[in-house]
Amino acid sequence: MLNEKPTLKSTGKALLYLLPMLVITIIFNIYPILKSFIMSFYTKYDFFKDIVQQWGWSNFTYIFHDPDFLLAVKNTLIFVVGVVPLTVIISLVVALLLNKIKWLSGLFRTVYFLPFVTSTVAIAQVWHWIYNSDYGLLNYFLGLFGVSPIAWLESPKYAMLALIIMSIWKSLGFNIVLFLVGLNNINERYYQAAEIDGANAWHQFTNVTVPLLSPITFLVSVNGVIGSFKVFDQIFALFNGTPGPSKSALTIVYYLYQKFYTEWKYGIAAASGVVLFFMILLVTLIQMWYSKKHVHY
Amino acid sequence: MEVTFKDVSLSYDGTREILHHLNFTIPEGTLVSILGPSGCGKSTTLMLISGLLAPTKGQIFFGDQDVTKQDALARKVGMVFQNYALYPHLTVLENIMFPLKMAKVKKEERREKALKLAKLVHVDDQLDKKPGALSGGQQQRVAIARALAKEPSLLLLDEPLSNLDARLRIEMRQEIRRIQQETGVTTIFVTHDQDEALHISDHIMVLNLGDIQQFSSAETLYDNPSNLFVAKFIGEPVINTLPITAFGHDLDGAVPAAILAKTQTVGIRPEALQDHPIDTGTLAQITTQVKAFEKYGREKNALVDYNGNELLSTEIQGRLENHQDLTLYLQKSGFYLFDEAGQRIFGGEQDVE
Ligand SMILES: Nc1ncnc2c1ncn2[C@@H]1O[C@H](COP(=O)(O)OP(=O)(O)OP(=O)(O)O)[C@@H](O)[C@H]1O
Ligand SMILES: [Mg+2]
Repeated sequence: MLNEKPTLKSTGKALLYLLPMLVITIIFNIYPILKSFIMSFYTKYDFFKDIVQQWGWSNFTYIFHDPDFLLAVKNTLIFVVGVVPLTVIISLVVALLLNKIKWLSGLFRTVYFLPFVTSTVAIAQVWHWIYNSDYGLLNYFLGLFGVSPIAWLESPKYAMLALIIMSIWKSLGFNIVLFLVGLNNINERYYQAAEIDGANAWHQFTNVTVPLLSPITFLVSVNGVIGSFKVFDQIFALFNGTPGPSKSALTIVYYLYQKFYTEWKYGIAAASGVVLFFMILLVTLIQMWYSKKHVHY
Repeated sequence: MEVTFKDVSLSYDGTREILHHLNFTIPEGTLVSILGPSGCGKSTTLMLISGLLAPTKGQIFFGDQDVTKQDALARKVGMVFQNYALYPHLTVLENIMFPLKMAKVKKEERREKALKLAKLVHVDDQLDKKPGALSGGQQQRVAIARALAKEPSLLLLDEPLSNLDARLRIEMRQEIRRIQQETGVTTIFVTHDQDEALHISDHIMVLNLGDIQQFSSAETLYDNPSNLFVAKFIGEPVINTLPITAFGHDLDGAVPAAILAKTQTVGIRPEALQDHPIDTGTLAQITTQVKAFEKYGREKNALVDYNGNELLSTEIQGRLENHQDLTLYLQKSGFYLFDEAGQRIFGGEQDVE
């Protein structure tokens, strides 16, 4: 029944169905999150014996005074702002074009989906060649326009840009597919009605396509923001296990990785994770609030 | 605006033709109904007029301007879609205002006009709802208001009343008629309800299987159906039809032998079968057996058997018993003969040879 009120019994039944998944979620998601929250307050800790000698806020004071962490926050924000809007716009445009040429869209759907199913390491390897300053494809093309060769991966000035370009390219495929599904779900009759009502192609786009596609746009951007905040593997693979030349591509998760695996400062790593968690939460909440007004379901 | 089709054919997929060589003119300022069974091509014809579909062959004229190549944007007609097609993300008011917004009408003026139209179609208490929260009938009325908003010179309505209850339906159809006569907008009204078509329109186009069967006034359609399809389609209760062979020699002398020889089917309207003779107008008499006799108030109906064929008569004066023999008098008005192809060859006013 559509208007059935939840009762104790129906809730219990639902819980029972959810139980297996719930157990897995608690063990592998909820527990680690709680643990890392707690860990961020360990200021003296014996990892091997699992003894906490001292608790406190000093991990947080430390990272907020660590220029590396502040750089990581800045880089992460640059990365998010550089990747997400462009990804949304480019994938929407490509999806719109593909949607016009139906017979091509099947082929291109596969082509664009490839990056999504290929390992990041393999992709980074390819981009290594593309970015190569002496015989890379990108510099070759830029050369055609008279641009002198750029040391994409070696210069701190360009490393972040190189990372952003690769990341956009990598996420295009999946988002294009999402947009294509969204476009397919818009009934032709709304365009017919709009045409009758005097809307030209542009007005049809702004008054029909954009609002009716907004749930997908919302999904793509929330997903993109969260994924971009957590960027790590692309950096690791593209810069051969370094955070870019002179830390130019050091992000929060990379910072966390360094603290945890190479410096064994677990408390500090956990604290930076907590900060990242709240940053993502804040941005997501802002997006949700915005979507209340502008997303039409 | 006058609308003319010249030899228009349409096929969606290039193989199966849906509309065949349509030729007609809808005079300026009239209300014309397109009437026909489901799937006969009514909506398709409207789409062709609106410019959402281009004809495969033939030409379309608005006045004397050839608009065949123009798209819907250029033709500027108003249209109510069969499935309403209201914008799901806009409120009722915004939906009605949308065509005005596209026409760059000022905001206050838009609102004012939309409110007026909303009142006209009785949705002024639903203005802030989204279409998803409206009943089918309410959506239909919003769609009508939206189509009227831009004051088109041609208004196309695709079964705009199909989801309304009987009372509202009659009210809305009078409203549409009133608006039409007030504004003089040429209106094309698609329906499969003959009663609706008969009440609302100046002319009715009967369509079947993509061909125009007859295009005339409601009266002509009933009195002079040009073929068997129209005779059967128009009229409630349905016309009695039976093969000519059933009559034996009953029609000899009443109908010229040359015509009888070509006849395949006989159509007799239920009111043309009377149990009492009238001096003028009686064509022939037949002997039948009563199968069922019903009396509703003033109305008396008899279902009779005539040489193995069932006939309905609505013009009974006496009281009848089941299984009794009954002589029925065939009236000339309401008696038609159709040839092999279903064309009328006898009866009606102007006999077609
Ligand atoms: N988009 C389309 N593609 C292919 N065939 C179509 C399409 N739309 C309609 N048809 C076919 O064209 C014929 C006429 O359809 P149309 O919608 O004009 O009928 P209609 O008279 O409006 O029927 P109804 O009273 O059920 O609305 C039908 O046989 C239908 O299957
Ligand atoms: Mg239809």
